[in-house]
Amino acid sequence: MSIEYLPHTADIRMRLEASSLPELFQEGLLGMSGILKEKFCEREKELSLQIPINISATDPGCLMVDFLSEVLSVSYTEKAIFCRMELTALSETNISAKIYGAPYSELDEEIKAVTYHEAEVKKNTSDLWESLILFDI
Amino acid sequence: MKIQKEHINKIKDYLWEIPTSFRPQYMNVPARILASETLLDEIMEDRSLAQLVNVASLPGIQGASMVMPDVHEGYGFPIGGVAATSYPKGAISPGGIGYDINCGVRLLLSSLNRETVQESLGVLSRELYNHIPSGMGKGGSILLSSRKMHEVLRNGAEWAVSQGYAKAEDLRFIESNGKLEMADPRLVSERAKQRGKDQLGTIGSGNHFVEVDYIDEIYNTNIATAYGLECGQVVLLIHTGSRGLGHQVATDHIKIIMGAMEKYGINVPDRELACVPFDSEEGQNYFRAMCAAANFAWCNRELISWEARTAWAKVFGSEVDDLHLMYDVAHNIAKLEEHSVEGKSSLMIVHRKGATRAFGPGFPELPEKYLKAGQPVIIPGSMGTCSYVLAGTARSMEITFGSCCHGAGRRLSRTAAKKQVNAPVLKEELRSRGIYVEAGSFKGIAEEAPVAYKDINEVVETVHASGIATKVAKLKPMVVVKG
Repeated sequence: MSIEYLPHTADIRMRLEASSLPELFQEGLLGMSGILKEKFCEREKELSLQIPINISATDPGCLMVDFLSEVLSVSYTEKAIFCRMELTALSETNISAKIYGAPYSELDEEIKAVTYHEAEVKKNTSDLWESLILFDI
Repeated sequence: MKIQKEHINKIKDYLWEIPTSFRPQYMNVPARILASETLLDEIMEDRSLAQLVNVASLPGIQGASMVMPDVHEGYGFPIGGVAATSYPKGAISPGGIGYDINCGVRLLLSSLNRETVQESLGVLSRELYNHIPSGMGKGGSILLSSRKMHEVLRNGAEWAVSQGYAKAEDLRFIESNGKLEMADPRLVSERAKQRGKDQLGTIGSGNHFVEVDYIDEIYNTNIATAYGLECGQVVLLIHTGSRGLGHQVATDHIKIIMGAMEKYGINVPDRELACVPFDSEEGQNYFRAMCAAANFAWCNRELISWEARTAWAKVFGSEVDDLHLMYDVAHNIAKLEEHSVEGKSSLMIVHRKGATRAFGPGFPELPEKYLKAGQPVIIPGSMGTCSYVLAGTARSMEITFGSCCHGAGRRLSRTAAKKQVNAPVLKEELRSRGIYVEAGSFKGIAEEAPVAYKDINEVVETVHASGIATKVAKLKPMVVVKG
C-alpha cells in the first residue's frame, strides 16, 4: 500500500499502489483527504458523518475519478473530510459504499476538481493495482 | 514523439509554429506559440506543447491552436491557451475553459497616492484581511437563498448593484458588462448551487489574492490618461473566480459530455479535451451553465470590491468616495465572437483558458472613454513582484483571436516551491521591501513565492513587442492578502 504525491507544474498528481482494488479505492480516499488537510485522518478518531455513495463509470480509471469527485463534492457541501469507507459492492465499473468522515474547520488546500487527465487504474508489473490521478488545485 | 526544437518553425519574431505534418493523423490546424526564444526554451521544459498539439485536434478548430508566453502544463488543455472553433457545429469543450469558470481580475483606482497611504499600510492590510474572507474551505457572510442564487446566476454583477453592494457605473467597466445573457440557472446543478451559496465575496485559495499596489511606471501616457492611471497612484487588484460553484458546473458537465462524445463520433487524445458540437443539446446545456457560473464570478468580484471598499472607508474615512472600477476581465471563459481566418470573417466559439481578451480600439462594448485606447488588459504578476496594465490592439485580432497572456505563468510545482522557499523568511524579506503579506498559512506563501513563476517582465515584453497588446503601466505591490 502506498500513496505518493508527484510534482506537476501547477497541480498535484497522486500515485496509488495497493494489493487489491478495494484497497486502492480506500487509498484514493485517504490520499485525497491528505491533500485537503494533512494528517486529518490520523488525528480524527470520531468519524460521525456517514454518507452512502453509488457510482457507475465506463472503465476503472473513470470510476476512480468519478468516485473521488463525488466524495470531494460531498466534502464541500457537508464541510467534512472523509477518511474511511465500507464497501457494499465494487467492480471495475461500479462502486457502492458508505463513506465516513468528520467536519473540518479549515482546509490546507482547496482542490478545484479531480481530473480525467491521464487517469488510470491498472495492474502493474509487480502485480499490484496502481492508479494515477491529477487534482486541479 | 517528444516535441523538439526542430519540429518548431519560426514564422516571424515572437511567433512559432508546429505544422500539421507533425501529427497529420489528428492535427486539424497548426499549433502556434507566441513567445520570445528564451520563453520558448522554458516552455519546452514541461508538456505544454504536447497538450497544445492535442488541442489542434478539436473538431471545427479554426486557424491554429494557440498558446501565450505565460503558458504552462495543465491537464488536457495547457494553461495559457486559446482555441477558436466554428459556430455552430464546432466543438465546445469545458476543459478549454477550466474548472474555475471566469477566473479573472479587476483593477480599482483610488484617489490616494503612495506617500499618503504609507503609514496606514499595516492597518489597511489587516482590515482587508478581516473584511474579505480568504482561505481554504471558508464561507463568506452572505448566504444566498435559492431565489437569490437564481438571480445571481441570471444577472451577474447587476445583482450586486440591485442589492446596494455596488455602483451602477461599475457595470460599464466589466467585460460583457458583468452578465452573459445566455445564462440559464436551471442548468446549474443543485449541488453546484449548494457549494456556492455561502461563497459570494470570498477569494478562495491557490493563486487568488487581493493586492494593494501603486503605479510605478507609465509607458503610454495617452492610454494611461484614458484609463485614469497616474504615476504613484494607489490601486487595488482582485484575482479570483466562480469558486466551488464553477468547479462543480465544470465537473458535472465534463462527465455528461464525455458520455455523449461517442454519439457524435468524437475521439480526443486526452479525456480532459472532452467536447461535443456547440449546437448539440449537451453543448448548449454546458454553455448556458458556464454563462451562469461566469455571472456568479462577476458578482463575486463585485462583492469582494464592496468588502474592500468597506475596509478602505474604515481606514481612510467614509467621506472618500474611492476605489472606482477601472476594468474587470475574465481569463477562463468561452465567448461567441466574430473573427477572421485567411480573410474570411465568421462567428466562432473562442475558448480562453488562462488567456485574457485583448480587443483593440473601437470595440463597441467598451465604455466610451476607452474606445480610442482599446480594452484594458490586466496582467497580475506573482506575489511580491509586479503587475501590468496593457491595452488591447487590432493586431491581437489578426494573430491571437483577440487574446493576450494572463499572468506570469508557473514554472515550479507547488512541491518544488515549498522545498525551495522558507515562507517566514520570504514574508520578512517582502516586509523589508515594504510589502505587507496577510495569508492564511505559510504554506500558501511558499507555494506562491516569486521563484515559482516565470519572469513577468519577459512575458509582458513579449506580448508588447509582438504587438498583441501595448504596455500602459507597471504596478508594484504594497499589500498582498491571500488564502
